[in-house]
Amino acid sequence: MRRYWAGLAVLAVAIAGCGLGGAEPDSAAPVTNVTGEVKGKVSLQTWALKPKFTDYVQGVIDGFERQYPGAEVEWLDQPAESYSEKVLTQAAGGSLPDVVNLPPDFAFPLVEQGMLLDVGQADRQLADVYVPGGLEAYRYPGAQGTYGYPWYLNTDVNYWNSELLTENGLDPEKPPASLDELISQARTLKEKSGGKVHLMSRKPELSDLVNAGVPVMSPDGTRFVFNTPEAVALLDRYREAYKEGLLPRGVLTDTYAGNAKLFTEGAVAWTTAGGNFITSLATDNPTLAPKVVPSPAMGTPPLYVQGLAISKATKNAPAALALARWVTNAENQAAFAHLVNVFPSTKASANDPFFSKSDGTRSGDAKVIAFTSLAEAKMLEPVQVTDAMKKFVRQQFALAINGEATSKEALDAAVAKCDELLKS
Amino acid sequence: MLLLLVLVLTVSPFLWQLSTSLKSLQEDIYTRTPSFLPQQPTLANYAEVAETIPVWSYAANSLVVAAIVVAGNAVGATIAGFALAKLRFRGAKLLLGLFLATLVLPGEVTIVSQYVTVRSLGLADTLLGVALPGAIGMLNVLLMRTAFQAIPREMDEAAIIDGATAWQRLRHIGLPNVRGMLSVVTIFAFIGAWDDFLWPLIVLTDPANYTLTVGLQYLNGTFSANPRLIAAGTMISFLPIMIVFAVLQRFFFKGVEEGAIKG
Repeated sequence: MRRYWAGLAVLAVAIAGCGLGGAEPDSAAPVTNVTGEVKGKVSLQTWALKPKFTDYVQGVIDGFERQYPGAEVEWLDQPAESYSEKVLTQAAGGSLPDVVNLPPDFAFPLVEQGMLLDVGQADRQLADVYVPGGLEAYRYPGAQGTYGYPWYLNTDVNYWNSELLTENGLDPEKPPASLDELISQARTLKEKSGGKVHLMSRKPELSDLVNAGVPVMSPDGTRFVFNTPEAVALLDRYREAYKEGLLPRGVLTDTYAGNAKLFTEGAVAWTTAGGNFITSLATDNPTLAPKVVPSPAMGTPPLYVQGLAISKATKNAPAALALARWVTNAENQAAFAHLVNVFPSTKASANDPFFSKSDGTRSGDAKVIAFTSLAEAKMLEPVQVTDAMKKFVRQQFALAINGEATSKEALDAAVAKCDELLKS
Repeated sequence: MLLLLVLVLTVSPFLWQLSTSLKSLQEDIYTRTPSFLPQQPTLANYAEVAETIPVWSYAANSLVVAAIVVAGNAVGATIAGFALAKLRFRGAKLLLGLFLATLVLPGEVTIVSQYVTVRSLGLADTLLGVALPGAIGMLNVLLMRTAFQAIPREMDEAAIIDGATAWQRLRHIGLPNVRGMLSVVTIFAFIGAWDDFLWPLIVLTDPANYTLTVGLQYLNGTFSANPRLIAAGTMISFLPIMIVFAVLQRFFFKGVEEGAIKG
């Protein structure tokens, strides 16, 4: 999805620049009335859940309408591609639905424009109901308040191709749990396979720096600071590994399609992916899926959050808040998690044995691993990091690993460019 | 030799999609050495696409949009191109300059203001709203202008002496000489309208109004993307383009040659 976001920055600027069309919510506007009876029409927009989850979502909506007679939900489901562009034009054209499914990074430009409701102010019970990590994801530097109800969560799990590991003298039951072990096992695999397959399958990213204890931004979020000696040391390690041939050549280029793609092709024996990876792999490559073994992520696992934000321009705030609360309540979230390996953001779900007990399948194991990891999972990259910044950082890291620049030079250049992009 | 290489490069992704769309659920899709021949060929994916989404009504919506865009370009670009090439009026140069200037703007920059415009016209969530911004392409106007310019001036002058009006010159001298370019414009307009994704996505809200490109996205849901179905959907949307091209190809190649020798 990431590549479809290229237009996002342009669009965000366009929204800021061209006046806001019909709706012009600014901070001076009267405060949206959040109390009142839950009735009347309210619209809900989800992201690519039709047709697979039509029954589930419709069931949740029916439940809401039964709970609040007189309330009527209009459900829109948007296609997967170009969702951020769609949301930004909806916002610019004044047609943002009342309740919108927005991941934290998509919500950020709307928060900057003052177009989302501070649900933390409207709903005082947030902290009692939802896990702190989920709420934290919808708090932004430079803006007071919480701008979304956390919905389902996910994190990364390590997946290993047990066939490739066994063939090349490694034990799939003892997969690497740290960078040191990863590099040493990668060496074994490379020697045994003659360099045909690799274990390491990606170059480091900002999240790897965070895991190595490097702060990405200054505490006030105004500048980037990730050019530390620890970051230099990490890039140096990857450079040596690359020189030794422990990584596929392709990972440094822009055609690199991601570690999951290489893993699916059987070119590498390791990938990171969400808790539902084995299920989707069973569709793509049915013969590979049974050979996959999961293990916990290395370092702090990343936290992926989906949430429901509420438009500040909503005409029916009481119903919108009630609907967002209803969709994200423990019961409805648990039902969703039974359909696919995602995890509820509600505190009440923490003790649900469904998540902590595997059904014996590898996919069930992955679910338990992911659920356990979620307790420590964090949003590793700050929301201010845009796609343009990520691209530049990738290029600089590639130069450093390739040996065309020293790690220090590459990091300094990346920090300088990110600062520049942050100010523009 | 070079031609063959280019052929392989352009056609192989297409063949890969075709073979993917015919593969059964038991077969691996992504492998290090892609196999082009499905082991157990099946048409089940096509049936499932037709079951999952209303392919025919989406295709009909796409056809409506494409028809408006093709008609708009065939008529509008022809008239505008003729005026720019053959009629003398104040500001003709300035107009041409403005046309060229709008070509330089990337679509992403204008898309928000375009949406706000279409919305205030009351055309949000309608097929007309989808078709309107593409109904007269600036590039097509320029192409038609070039085609009209290739007609020798003497023919026009002779017609003027005989007392022909501008409309008569367009009808009897202009049009018969630009048929090739007109078919090029038609094909480009059709493909542009048929393949467009972002703009219809932004304008349309009601799934019943979706065009095929947007509707096919239902095959690519969160947690539920099956590459076989997506490939089958792509094949379905590709068919009409092939038909239009097959029908117009005689004119198309004439038009391409016409553009090559400038008058």
